[in-house]
Amino acid sequence: MNIDITDVTRRFGRTRAVAGVTMSAGPGVLGLLGPNGAGKTSLLRMLATVIPPTSGRIRLLERDPGVAAQRRAIRRRLGYVPQHLGYYPSFTVVEFVEYFALLKEVPAAQVPRAVATAVERVGLGDKARARMRTLSGGMLRRAGIAQAIVNDPELLLLDEPTAGLDPEQRVAFRGLLRDLGQTATVVVSTHLVEDVGAACAQVALMDGGRIVFHGTPQELTARGEGRTAAGDAPLERGYSTVLAEARS
Amino acid sequence: MTAATVEDRGPGRAWVAGAARLMRIELRRNAMIWMLPVAGVLFWALTYRRSMALAPLWNVRAMTMQSTTIAVFIPTVTGVAAWTGTREARRRLTDLLSVTSRSRWRRQLASWAATTAWALGCYLACVGVLYGVTATQATGSGPPWWPVLVGAASVPALAALGFTAGTVLPSRYTPPLVAMGAFLMFEAGLELVHGAGSPWQISPLVTGPYQLGDYEGLATFYPYLPDLPIAQVIFLVGLTLALLGILGLPSLAGGRWPRLVAAALTVTGVLSAATATALAGTGRLDPHGMIAIPALHNAADDRPVAYTPVCSHTAIPVCLHPAYRAYLGAVSTDLAPLLDELAGVPGAPARIAQTTTTYRWTDDGIDIATSAWTMHGTPPVYTIVLPNQAGEPALSVDQSANRVKGRIARDLVTAVVGGGSDPAQQAVTAGVLKGVRPVLGSEPPDLGRRITPNTPAAVAAQRFAALPVGTRHAWLVVHAADLKAGRITLDQLP
Repeated sequence: MNIDITDVTRRFGRTRAVAGVTMSAGPGVLGLLGPNGAGKTSLLRMLATVIPPTSGRIRLLERDPGVAAQRRAIRRRLGYVPQHLGYYPSFTVVEFVEYFALLKEVPAAQVPRAVATAVERVGLGDKARARMRTLSGGMLRRAGIAQAIVNDPELLLLDEPTAGLDPEQRVAFRGLLRDLGQTATVVVSTHLVEDVGAACAQVALMDGGRIVFHGTPQELTARGEGRTAAGDAPLERGYSTVLAEARS
Repeated sequence: MTAATVEDRGPGRAWVAGAARLMRIELRRNAMIWMLPVAGVLFWALTYRRSMALAPLWNVRAMTMQSTTIAVFIPTVTGVAAWTGTREARRRLTDLLSVTSRSRWRRQLASWAATTAWALGCYLACVGVLYGVTATQATGSGPPWWPVLVGAASVPALAALGFTAGTVLPSRYTPPLVAMGAFLMFEAGLELVHGAGSPWQISPLVTGPYQLGDYEGLATFYPYLPDLPIAQVIFLVGLTLALLGILGLPSLAGGRWPRLVAAALTVTGVLSAATATALAGTGRLDPHGMIAIPALHNAADDRPVAYTPVCSHTAIPVCLHPAYRAYLGAVSTDLAPLLDELAGVPGAPARIAQTTTTYRWTDDGIDIATSAWTMHGTPPVYTIVLPNQAGEPALSVDQSANRVKGRIARDLVTAVVGGGSDPAQQAVTAGVLKGVRPVLGSEPPDLGRRITPNTPAAVAAQRFAALPVGTRHAWLVVHAADLKAGRITLDQLP
């Protein structure tokens, strides 16, 4: 399993953002759904080794991120797009992606090809030499995804990756997700239920720091059938039903 | 070449290739590039123009260059380095960058190195221009390199200072505050320098005894003492290591080994900087005007620098150190008639030679002594010092020459004729000086002017002055000794 976490909690002061999550995931695309404040971003940041858990055990790519040497090995094979993507305005798209490739220790000789591949995969080939400051919000998002996949990661963590993308770009992005999920474990945190339905083989629904549902999108859809929960689509009704049950 | 072949050559080469690519990006996008024109303009305004106004002496220009150029680079380099240090936080890249496998410390070192490289390049280019122009003007000894080295060691230290401050306090207000704070700190530090044994003279803005300034007498006849520059370089290298080491200490900075290396660097840097500061505190004023530090002093530096003086083609040659070649014409040309007339006369020197000054620390400050303005040896040599050698404010070549010409004339005439109130001596003095008085300015104020008009002495003086130079010279050769002894009367004058 590329992700194997047991009873993980994370506190920020008195606030418990993640409250005893146990989960495992292998290759494939896992959608992480949940309302605002559910703990999705905190869980992703722990999986990305940005922050350690307050308690519990995390193993990523068969390694312990609590050990410096193993954490470094994990990070070489990790891709991450945070919710608020930062960037250096004066860098070109290629420089931005190359910068991360080098920091992820992609062998120098492989960097040009890896960068070109990543930039092409997110559809920014024609903007490769453009400065980051000149890109639109959607393009910036795609540049962020390019830096995440430049090292051909085995574990890819995407926090709200489709925010700012237009419908055409989102469709293309879902295709990219499915492609990446062939070999890697991809965790996508999103509010957009339709993204999950279209691209994810597995879905986990978080609420109050806990995972209240873990299954396939079809199973989530089934939970809403015959119910009067809110939602325009079957998957949304499943989502609302599970949340209502968890809170009752 | 494939990736595999590169990797096969060893991880070391692959690491270097990766680091080189990272540096290329950092160099291309470094903020220091935008500050280069500012640094260049400040250098031109504060260093170059001032240096060009000074005499073309390597020691003066090099020492001025060190203090003023570093003052220019303090706010510019620390400010830009602080801006670079705050970059990750300002651009909200902290999370994204923290999950890359290369340690934060290495990433930061690359940013610092790029800033340093641009600043160092700018510094060396500025110094290159100044030294290049000075090389076309200066004569005598070659350029002193220690001031250049101190400046070059200052740049990485200033960059490390700014970068560390920016990393620790990643606010957009940090860069201007650090730039101003560093400038004020260094400038205020100069006020704390008291005496030759002050540890505060470890500041790279100090080039020698702070109360003395950049006088021309320093490091011309004797070597440029490297004692203080060595201590300053040790301090600056130590400061750089300590500051860069501090960046690698936090747990987020890297793994166990990088943090151990960072800790070792920090300790080494702190110890080096402290040792250098303590060494600066043991300094003493060297007799030749520079700071000597016993633990770093090389006795070979106490020996005078051998040189062949440059001499005028006057009958009594005026000989100066070759570094002062620019002064030779200004001093000797106007005095040529007098020198021609007195050459070979008993009591006149065979040569006029420039000598050195010595420096001694007293309760009132630095006392500058000289053996100049006297006759020495056989045949007699009359020694002089130029005003700037004696601690007077910086003067132009002509100003300096004007200050010494009158004194030379007075002393030479006094040596030959005698300086008493004897009417015959006064008449001869007035006659001899008549040809050169217009170029002597106000110096000497009274020599040969005490003769009351329409007196026998005045008439004798006019008569003597009207004689051909050759006649006067021949008479002086025969009668100068008696004249000086007071055995010649007005009636005996030709």
